[in-house]
Amino acid sequence: MTVESTRTPSSKVRSIVRACNLIGRMMRAQPGAMPSEVMYYEMIGGYFSRLLDAEKNGDFIAAHTVFFPAELIYSLGLVPMHTEMTTWTASLFTGETSDIIEAGAALGLATEICTPHRGLVGAFATKVVPRPSVMLWSNMICDNTAKSGELLMELAGCPGHFVDHPFKDSPEEKQYLKEEMADVVSFLEEQSGRKMDWQVLAETMDRTDRQIQLSREISELRKATPSPLRPRGFLELMMVDYLFPGQPEAIKYLETLKQDLSAMVAAGKGAVSNERFRLMTLFIPPMYLLPLFDAIFEEFGAASVVEPFFTSWSDGRLDANDPLAAVVEKQYILPEARMYGPLEDRALKAITDCAGEYRVDGAIYYADVACRQSCAMIKVFKDRLSEVDVPTLTLDCDIVDPTITSREEVREKMERFFELLEDR
Amino acid sequence: MPTVGLDIGSLTTKVAVLGDGKVLSSVIVATDDDDREAGAREAVRAALAQAGLTLNEDVCLVSTGVGGKAISFSRQQKAITTCLARGVHHLLPSAMMAIDMGAESCTVIKLNARGRVDDWTGHDKCAAGTGLFLQQMARLMQVPMEEMSALSGRATARAGITSTCAVFAESDVISHVHRDPPTPPEDLAAGIYYSVAGRIISMCKRIGITREVAATGGVALSQGLISLLAGEMKLEILVPDEPQLTAAIGAAILAQESVDKGPAE
Repeated sequence: MTVESTRTPSSKVRSIVRACNLIGRMMRAQPGAMPSEVMYYEMIGGYFSRLLDAEKNGDFIAAHTVFFPAELIYSLGLVPMHTEMTTWTASLFTGETSDIIEAGAALGLATEICTPHRGLVGAFATKVVPRPSVMLWSNMICDNTAKSGELLMELAGCPGHFVDHPFKDSPEEKQYLKEEMADVVSFLEEQSGRKMDWQVLAETMDRTDRQIQLSREISELRKATPSPLRPRGFLELMMVDYLFPGQPEAIKYLETLKQDLSAMVAAGKGAVSNERFRLMTLFIPPMYLLPLFDAIFEEFGAASVVEPFFTSWSDGRLDANDPLAAVVEKQYILPEARMYGPLEDRALKAITDCAGEYRVDGAIYYADVACRQSCAMIKVFKDRLSEVDVPTLTLDCDIVDPTITSREEVREKMERFFELLEDR
Repeated sequence: MPTVGLDIGSLTTKVAVLGDGKVLSSVIVATDDDDREAGAREAVRAALAQAGLTLNEDVCLVSTGVGGKAISFSRQQKAITTCLARGVHHLLPSAMMAIDMGAESCTVIKLNARGRVDDWTGHDKCAAGTGLFLQQMARLMQVPMEEMSALSGRATARAGITSTCAVFAESDVISHVHRDPPTPPEDLAAGIYYSVAGRIISMCKRIGITREVAATGGVALSQGLISLLAGEMKLEILVPDEPQLTAAIGAAILAQESVDKGPAE
């Protein structure tokens, strides 16, 4: 079954490019705008411009789900399309979130399936995203991701390849994953007619290693009081990780951001004018409410200083001399890997360690109502944080669907939470 | 100078006047949906008059509740959870947990030793477990709301009512009323209360039950529900004399704290 849309894929992705260009221009004109803020929108606009050009020229577009190592795609000289980021960035800029969610429902996807996946399917069905040449997916980060691939392939009418990512961290499982990655390379070579230049991949993974180091250095800067990164800054860091792994523009951006934040720390300047509450963010806030969060955080003097599952990389370096091993190692040390499979200390200790290192006053758990796997962790996390005297606000919400939780409801709950913190 | 707490709920507006740590007077009136500010102002005037006082700019008033935000004569607006904690701690110092059962919402708060909110939970996406839900059930049974409590106390069995959704619970009650023979109203009332209690206990467990447990809000006047909750939770439930006033009293306490702190620099 197909669902009609009034816009072409190019026009939807073009909305992102136009918006990024406009915001970039506005920022450049704004006195006091940080160079990294301008650069960010230029990068995002550049990513989607490249996608538009690839579509227009008939270039090879490799669509991939979240946490799929796009370094492999870049190193083959192919054009990556991050399915989730493309879908949701386009929908946010075009205001067509409800349309694509409904399109997913029209294909029989029940409301119990998380909206990011329902919407992803809806986006492919209504051609919100350019048609890819291949579809790449894995079982990271959840079962929905694992099960999405075949349907997306069918909707796109293209071949695809699944990567089986083991749950546990052992030499045998890492070797297994390395073989899986080698299979991805073989698949892409066969489909694209290109051959992997292993030296190029090595250079890419070397840059990824540098990127991770820079992310760690930025995380260190955020320990300062007041903390320098603006409320939605961590989402921008994630976007750069997801869209530009191992790319020169990511290095340039992170170096610029590090400089900007270092200057703020040296000047004793924080992201919010009067920092009163340092918060840990667990999972992702509703994307359609980001302006509300910016406003509330400024009003109450709150700053998100750490996100253990999104910006805190685990220990470890990538050895570019064995590029496929480096790809595998990255999969194990990326922040979100802590949520994959059993929690164990790598997740639970990370939360309590971060709470101490960042001197966190409270935590906000954005409980996506349809994300069964993450919501199963609520009590465990809350209890652990309670042991280190950090209260947690559980905010039932949806990451993209605005019908689940209203602005007023969110505002009221956050006000209650800030009063609780104030009263302690 | 006495202080005033104003709690504007969806059905009732409550006012408490506090002086020297004591409640000097209080008023409970129906909320004026057409003009909440005017209705609130009248209620405050009435409460102050009972205490021999008038409403003027020296009166420090803190407002709370669903209608507490847009009150022009309120010095400060505070969250209902903050006010409830203050009120419960004042009225029942041994309480470490409070179940507030209002017309449209049910909130459970956990207090720390200082009487401050440590944690809270509520169910704001469903009417099951609220005063309006119980009113609707009483209407379906064609029983005055005031008689439901005594009715449930005479039950010999308990009708099965789903506890997960107000809409489904309503369907259950209708089918019980219309079946042949109809389910005895005592058993039906008991079943309704049991479904409400189940929902409330689940909320309490979500944040961890800590003794002593208090019940506040208008629904706490229902002795039948309180007895059932106490039985199911296997502990005593403390209920202040006028449980509907708890948040208003807490708001008045917060107003006093604000006066004691002095003006912000």
